[in-house]
Amino acid sequence: MCIKLILLSLFLSGICVFASSCSKNQKNDGELLFWSSNNLPEIEFAQDMIETWNASNSPHINFQPVPEGQSSEEMILAAVVAKTTPDIYANMRQGDVEFYAESHVLIPLDTLDGFLEFMYARCDSSVMDEIRSADGHTYQVPWKINPIIVLYNQDYYDELGVVDYPRTYSAYLSLAEKFKKDMDGDGYVDRWFGNTESNVLWYQRFFNFIPLYYAASGGSPLIENNKAAFNNEAAVKVFTFLQTLYKNQYFPIERLAARRDPFLYGDIATKWTGPWDVPFIQKFKPDLNFNAHPMPVPDDYIGVSHTYADPKSIVIFKYSSNPQKAWDFLQQFLSIENDFKFFSLSKQFPRRKDLLTDSIFVNYLKRNPQLAPFAKQAKYTHGISDTPYMKEILALISQEYEACVVYGKKEPRQAIQDAAQAVDLLYLNLSQ
Amino acid sequence: MNIRHKTILPWLLVSPYIIHLLVFVAFPILFSLVLTFNKWNIISPMEYIGLSNYSRILHDRQFWKAVGNTLIFLSIHIPLQIIVAISLAEILNQKIKLRPFFRGAFFLPVIVSGVVVSILWQQLLGFDTGIFNRMLTSIGLGRIGWLIDPNWAMPSIAIMATWKNVGLYIVLFLVGLQTVPKAYYEAADIEGATKWQKFWHITLPMINPTIFMVVILSTIGGFSLFIEPYVMTGGGPLNSTLSAVLYIYKQAFFYYHMGYSATLGIFFAMIILFVIIIQKKFIEK
Repeated sequence: MCIKLILLSLFLSGICVFASSCSKNQKNDGELLFWSSNNLPEIEFAQDMIETWNASNSPHINFQPVPEGQSSEEMILAAVVAKTTPDIYANMRQGDVEFYAESHVLIPLDTLDGFLEFMYARCDSSVMDEIRSADGHTYQVPWKINPIIVLYNQDYYDELGVVDYPRTYSAYLSLAEKFKKDMDGDGYVDRWFGNTESNVLWYQRFFNFIPLYYAASGGSPLIENNKAAFNNEAAVKVFTFLQTLYKNQYFPIERLAARRDPFLYGDIATKWTGPWDVPFIQKFKPDLNFNAHPMPVPDDYIGVSHTYADPKSIVIFKYSSNPQKAWDFLQQFLSIENDFKFFSLSKQFPRRKDLLTDSIFVNYLKRNPQLAPFAKQAKYTHGISDTPYMKEILALISQEYEACVVYGKKEPRQAIQDAAQAVDLLYLNLSQ
Repeated sequence: MNIRHKTILPWLLVSPYIIHLLVFVAFPILFSLVLTFNKWNIISPMEYIGLSNYSRILHDRQFWKAVGNTLIFLSIHIPLQIIVAISLAEILNQKIKLRPFFRGAFFLPVIVSGVVVSILWQQLLGFDTGIFNRMLTSIGLGRIGWLIDPNWAMPSIAIMATWKNVGLYIVLFLVGLQTVPKAYYEAADIEGATKWQKFWHITLPMINPTIFMVVILSTIGGFSLFIEPYVMTGGGPLNSTLSAVLYIYKQAFFYYHMGYSATLGIFFAMIILFVIIIQKKFIEK
């Protein structure tokens, strides 16, 4: 009987030891913990940075990629709830920062020594304004961007006789009409001018509506003073343009996940995407002749085409044992040499104002012309309005997007008006 | 000492179950009930809001749309599942060639991950490149928007879910069929009954408890429809495949409306309970 009890006790205590070891962060007292994304180039870069720091600095920094889960956002949330966050997390979506800032789990970085001087030397003041939270503090380091623009198949553009890229909606639609084709004669179009995700999920609007809205409005915000700011002509024109693409079968309605990569295999001529696709194409289809140009704009639009930046930020959690040291490390992490190292490894753009002027970047872009259009666009990119309700807002826009743009069940003006009303109602309900 | 041991040991032996019950069943249910009266986004402190979450349900058109979609799914899925499962079980109960192979083959989709099956069917049902539409066009018929036409999307998911789950119900019906005494069929043969009459007047009444169990299991399984629309359609097109559980999931894990999603969950559990009680009344004899 005693042996049974001993075995049972050992078993239960084993479970307790295992559980407690799982809940501990992988760091010793005084050391800092850094989480990167799971992207291989980012892991390689972060490891390199941390090794360099640890060679001559203290406290030591431990590294691990964000734990595997359904999404990194979910893992960060779980870590916040369990109070097992890293000291530093590099790869938070800019739109998510406000949610955590409002919950008081982030360090206001502007209270750390040297933060503002460093950041104003690195970024434009417009960027600093963009990332400032509603309470006046800054909780994030704007680290990298991936401007969303039009990737195009050069051979197809040559075939269509394109001399200058299609800057306006009518130029883009005219090329689309010439390009779409029923290749196998079954009565259905199977070569389209482009493709963008028709899925209703909120984050898909980052890759179609939002870049086009910024392009059409010169970068106007979606939300201002806790109200929808997109109930305007620019948004109506964007919805009308997108609706035409589907109505005239210039774009397929099918979800992207249901098929092989259509750009890689020549089923489409253009793709609205970020620079991450450049190394992907170079790796999997090295003979594909492609380049990129800005998002199309309404015919009467004058000026430069803006777009969505897909910005990612670095944050320091309030559970950090030494936020000032964490910031000291980040200053080294974000030096121009390291930004360049990161850029050349990952092909993602550091959010710096000297991207097109500093020779280190200029020379690299000369050697990689397919990245140059993304770099030129970098100055005219925008993140997303700082609001903790961005997901709900984008979900409401997505509902109207699907009904109007994809299925043509609503007029664009009505759809935009309904989306704006729904967003205003959301703010009204949340403020009660 | 010995008596104390005798008292403690049984408790120790059942302690894993009790711990499991308390941690994974009782606590979540009680916590969910508490949540229904609060507003909580996981990381900020809870805020008591009384019955607001309950009153919000009444005006939440998307939730009622999702409940309606789930009922549409059930109305296709349950009859289809029962008909297919009984038919296949009847065939697999005969002495046919390769019977063990077919029994195993029909059960295979049940043990394959729902996500894998959903991705596979997403490819099969693709509008432009899916094999089903290729077959239709090759025989001169038009394509069907299996997953992109709001009228077709939910039936497509119901067909796919039937394919995925039918193996389990075939096994249940096989067990039911094998409990029917052969003497009844022999007596019917002597009376000159046809195959259909034997099936209708002997088999069906005899396997009624199995049918009831299958209906209950299919209903509960159908009400928890989630993976298929989550992977294949995201709830679209035009919310036609937005199931109630998918909506609850979105409220909880997209928007972090934990209080509201807990309220929806409890409310939805009550709907399921109500439906099961009605089924029990009409089907169980």
